[in-house]
Amino acid sequence: MSEFDCAGQVDQSIEFVRRHCSIQPRAAIVLGSGLGGLATEIEHSVSIPYADIPFFPTVSAVGHAGNLILGQLAGVNVVAMQGRVHRYEGYSNDQVAFPATCMLQLGARTLIVTNAAGGLNPRFRRCDVMAIDQHMHWLWNQQNQLRDVECNVGVRSSKSCVTSQPDVRVARSNSPYTENLIQAATESALRSGRILHRGTYLSTLGPTYETRAEYRMFRAMGADAVGMSTTPEVLAATRLRVSVLGLSVITNVASTDLPQSTTHEEVVDSSLQAEPLLKSIIGDVVRDLVQA
Amino acid sequence: MLELFNQIEEACQFIRGHWNQVPHAGIILGTGLGPLVEQIEAEATIDYEQIPHFPKSTAVSHRGRLVCGNLCGLPVMVMEGRFHMYEGYPLKKITLPVRVMRHLGAQLLIVSNAAGGMNPYFDCGDIVVIDDHINLMGDNPLIGINDDRLGPRFPDMCAPYDHVLINKAMEIARSNNIVAHKGVFVAVAGPNLETRAEYRFLRAIGADVVGMSTVPEVIVAVHCGLRTIGFSVVTDMCLPDALEPANVAKIIATANAAEPSLRSLVMGVLDFEFQRLNTDNK
Repeated sequence: MSEFDCAGQVDQSIEFVRRHCSIQPRAAIVLGSGLGGLATEIEHSVSIPYADIPFFPTVSAVGHAGNLILGQLAGVNVVAMQGRVHRYEGYSNDQVAFPATCMLQLGARTLIVTNAAGGLNPRFRRCDVMAIDQHMHWLWNQQNQLRDVECNVGVRSSKSCVTSQPDVRVARSNSPYTENLIQAATESALRSGRILHRGTYLSTLGPTYETRAEYRMFRAMGADAVGMSTTPEVLAATRLRVSVLGLSVITNVASTDLPQSTTHEEVVDSSLQAEPLLKSIIGDVVRDLVQA
Repeated sequence: MLELFNQIEEACQFIRGHWNQVPHAGIILGTGLGPLVEQIEAEATIDYEQIPHFPKSTAVSHRGRLVCGNLCGLPVMVMEGRFHMYEGYPLKKITLPVRVMRHLGAQLLIVSNAAGGMNPYFDCGDIVVIDDHINLMGDNPLIGINDDRLGPRFPDMCAPYDHVLINKAMEIARSNNIVAHKGVFVAVAGPNLETRAEYRFLRAIGADVVGMSTVPEVIVAVHCGLRTIGFSVVTDMCLPDALEPANVAKIIATANAAEPSLRSLVMGVLDFEFQRLNTDNK
């Protein structure tokens, strides 16, 4: 599929969304594993299932509802993804980033991404929140051709898309993550009596959780948290020169010396516990956007 | 992706038509490690070509057949010849035989491979009992829709290799005067061997040996509930400050020379399993 077609798909998706809701969002929010409940904060909302939107991928992961929600948060127009798709479901980076790309093309100038991540930094505790200030994008796009053929009936292929070229370089002076949004989030957390960590997020293909040797490797590389998402959306936002805030809920602290198994239930549970803090941070950050 | 389940069923049905025992263990033999097969009281030998949905083998020194029979008093299925990502097979194809072994009733997977030694305390011909692994293949056989009948969406990997068997293997090595080390295996896609910079990197991230296989099979074994033990034969030393060009013939010769040691370890582990089963049944 050519670049033109991908852009065409985005246009068609947006057109469909605009027929259901004409608000111009100021901010776009991606709600990750177990964080879908944040959507209840959005007022006067219109909820559109991904299944209805042309070219949107179908969500299969547990903890991801699969709805696009438009409305107001803290008095600001927002669009939110309640649920995302992941590379481990068989999608390419372009496909994973597609819904976020659509949200941004609706006019949002700020992207807030959330995820659940395994903690690598030994200072972190379960249910802590980390602001992402750097990332390592280990979602290699290998084997995509085979994957599109092999897996997932119904996944539309967008082999080349304006959002995702493997070696686009971000200017060295700019991290994809916006410093003043991290500041705003930090201050918001303090007001709730909590300390917001900051660190490097590393994205891997999954779906297996890491071996202890892999955790040690990631730590040695300098990653503070590891997960299976987020970087494709962030890279899409970077290309569109949109401000980004990334928040990881630390769902377990990787034990490199003691074999300690992780389960998806624990991951979702940690997310639920961190939800109140995330709600208040996101609310404050969004409110600040229009006051800036 | 749900058709994978049917493919497994069809392959199993075909195999059952030739052999009706329930295997205790599946064994995957790596480069140059084929002679173990001669120890088996073979009851059925089936070329991969005949088995529905099995991939077909192409690498030099890999045979391409399934040998089913008894070894150390236990029914086993041995893959003489394995598949590699560098041959262009999708990982789901490469690992289908592991799922077939499980489906037929196997409890244990024994994998072996030939690997480059990076830990400077290792030597050519040493056996490494794999204690842990790092997946640098850039792919994962579980990507796609998860069929819950086969295993969980997010398998935990804190201990993919069975620690009881690791300790047992080390003990057997000691008793048989075999040089064996516990170590971390890193899987890369290949097919090229690594540059010096790559060896330094791999060592720095904590790996002891490097190879182009095994990890996909182990991931699937964990997914479907098979206990696993893995052995690497160090067929060449990859020390970045004294790196020699690789010699495939020499690598295969080293593997062949180490094969008797590997065979002792594998059979020792199976003896242990046999005893455990019989003690449990009393």
